[in-house]
Amino acid sequence: MRNEYIPYPAIIKSIQAESFDTKTFKLVFEDNALAMAFDYEPGQFVQVSLLGIGEAPISITSCPADTGFLELTIRAAGRLTRAIHQLKPKDKIFIRGPYGNSFPIEQVRGRDLYFIAGGIGLPPLRSVIRAVFDRRGDFGKVKILYGAKTPDELCFKEELRVWKQMDDTELLITVDKPDERWKGNVGVVTTLWNKADMTTSSGVAFVCGPPIMIKYVVTELLQSGFKDENIYITLERYMKCGIGKCGHCNIGERFVCIDGPVFTYGQLKKFPVKERAIA
Amino acid sequence: MKEQLLGKDSVKALCMSASDRWETYVPIETIGQDVQFIKLENQTKEITLDKLNLDYEFLLVPPKVMLFPQIESLLKFQDGKIIETVKPQARRLFFGLRACDVKAMLFMDDFFKRNFEDIYYLNRSMEKLLVIVGCKRPLENCFCTSVKTGPFLEKGFDLQLIDIGNKYLVEIGSKKGKEFVASYGRFFDEASEDDVEKSNTAKCNTEQAVSLRLDFEKAIKKFCEDKVPNQIYERIAQRCIYCGGCLYVCPTCTCFNVFDEQNARFGGSRYRNWDACVFEGYTREASGHNPRLEKWVRTSRRYEHKLKYDYLTTKMSGCVGCGRCLSTCPVNIGISQVIEEVAKN
Repeated sequence: MRNEYIPYPAIIKSIQAESFDTKTFKLVFEDNALAMAFDYEPGQFVQVSLLGIGEAPISITSCPADTGFLELTIRAAGRLTRAIHQLKPKDKIFIRGPYGNSFPIEQVRGRDLYFIAGGIGLPPLRSVIRAVFDRRGDFGKVKILYGAKTPDELCFKEELRVWKQMDDTELLITVDKPDERWKGNVGVVTTLWNKADMTTSSGVAFVCGPPIMIKYVVTELLQSGFKDENIYITLERYMKCGIGKCGHCNIGERFVCIDGPVFTYGQLKKFPVKERAIA
Repeated sequence: MKEQLLGKDSVKALCMSASDRWETYVPIETIGQDVQFIKLENQTKEITLDKLNLDYEFLLVPPKVMLFPQIESLLKFQDGKIIETVKPQARRLFFGLRACDVKAMLFMDDFFKRNFEDIYYLNRSMEKLLVIVGCKRPLENCFCTSVKTGPFLEKGFDLQLIDIGNKYLVEIGSKKGKEFVASYGRFFDEASEDDVEKSNTAKCNTEQAVSLRLDFEKAIKKFCEDKVPNQIYERIAQRCIYCGGCLYVCPTCTCFNVFDEQNARFGGSRYRNWDACVFEGYTREASGHNPRLEKWVRTSRRYEHKLKYDYLTTKMSGCVGCGRCLSTCPVNIGISQVIEEVAKN
C-alpha cells in the first residue's frame, strides 16, 4: 500500500515575480527518476509543503509538455504561502500529487475555446492554454478574457504578449483599478463582453477566478449561448489531504479534491445551493 | 460452526491467552467509572483485566479511536529530511464491542479504503477481529433498532457474544472467528438448543428495551429526495454553540485537520487530528473566502453528510444510532431529534 501522505523534495530552480504578492516557482524533483516520470494533466493540483510550516493545495501552472520541471504560481495569502515567498533558488520544497481531475482537452478538439480568468485564476488556466497552443491546429478560435484588480497584479506579463500574437487568438485584458500608465480596458472581466463577440452555441468555456467573478461570468456565458455542459469551472476549496479523506472540500457527496477541481456548470448546478457558494 | 458457549469466568483467561498473539483491546473501567478500551500490555495485563467491564452502558469515546486516533503523526522530519512514522500492520483483537460500534467501524473501513487507501488507518484495521458482547441495558438516547444497527448483528462481526446468565452464547460470524474459537478451543464448549433458545430470549429482551423508536427510513428518504426544509437547520443554529463535541464522539466521523509542529532543533512532526465540519474555520480559505460561513449551513452539512450524502455514496447511513451526540451535547441537541422532526414533517 502506498503512503499518499509522504511528499517528495523538490529544488527551486528559479523564481519569477509576477506582482507584489504573486510569484512563479520553477521546481525540479530532487530524485531525477521522479522528475522525469512525474506526469499530470492541465487542471490538476499538487499538495505543496514546507516541513514545520504546513501544506496546501496549489494548482499546476506549467504544461505536461514541460518535462523535468514543474511551475507553480503562488500568491502570498496565508502562513504557508507567505513562507514560500521567503524562499530563494536552490531552497527545498515538498510536493505530493498530482491530484484531482483535469480540463478535457481531447474532448474539445475542433471547438472554439474561451478562457475567462480573474486574478490568481489565470495560473491554472495557463496550463491548459499552453497545452492548446502546443497543438494550435487542433482547435478553433481561442479567446482569452483576463481581469485583474490592478495592472501590477496581471500574471505572466511577458507571456501575455506572446499569446496575443498567436494565430486566430484574441486576448482581452481589463483591470478594476488602472494606474496612470494603463491604456487598456477598465472594469470587471464581464465588461469585456462588449468588446469580444462571445455569442456561440458550441463554444467551450474554461473559467477560474474568485467566487463572485464565477457567478457573474456564468450568467454572461449562459446568455451568450454557452451550454451548461460546455462551461468548465475549476473550484477552490480548503483542503488538507487532497485524496478524499480529510473532508474539508466536501460539496454535497462530492470531494473537490478527487471529483474536481474541474466541474461543468451542469454538474455544479446539481450541487446543493447552500454549499456551492457560487452561481 | 455451531454456536459455542464461553463461561463468564473464562473471559479473562481467554483474553490473557489471546493477548500473546493479538494486540488485545478490552473495555476497562477507569477513574470516575468511565469505560474505555485499553490495550493489554505485557506487565500489567492482570491488573488491567481486574477492571474489565463487559456490561458497560456508555462508552463515551467511540472505538474508532483505536483505528483513527484523535491525534497521530503522519511523518516526522529532521534537518529537511522526512522520516516515515507509519506503523506496520498489526493483528488486533477488539473484545467487547457493541453492535452499533461494530457497524461504525465497518463504515469507517469502507471509507478509508475507498478511492485512495489510507495506510495509517488500514494498517491498524485490516487484520482485526471484532468480538461483540451484546448490549443488555440500552440507554434512553439509543435508537439502534430504528437504524438496524443493533442491539445485535446478523453479520459483519467475527464473534458475537450474548449473555445467557453465567455464560455467553457465542455466534460465529466469519472464518476468522471460527479459527479463533478453534485455536482457543479449551475455553469454548458447544452450545445446546436450550442455550440458543435462551440467547434468542435475551436478544428479544434487549431489543424491547430500546425505547427510542424513529421512522428512520422515512427520514432518509426525505433527505435523499431533498425534502428537508432549511428552517430545521436554522432553528438548530439558534441553539447550537458549535463546540463540535457531537462530532468528536461520533463513531463514524472521519474528518481531520493536518498541521506541522517544529522544535528548536530543525525537527518536528506533521500531525493529523480530528476536526469538525461545524467549525467556522473548517472551510475558510487563505483568501478569506468561506463557502460555509453561515452557521445554519454548517449545521446542514453536519446532518446531511450523515443522513444524505453518506447514504447516496454507500447505501449505508453515516449514523448508527448510538446516541452519543445527544448524550454529549451541552445544549441538548441530538441527531435523533433531527431524524424525528424530518420524519414527522
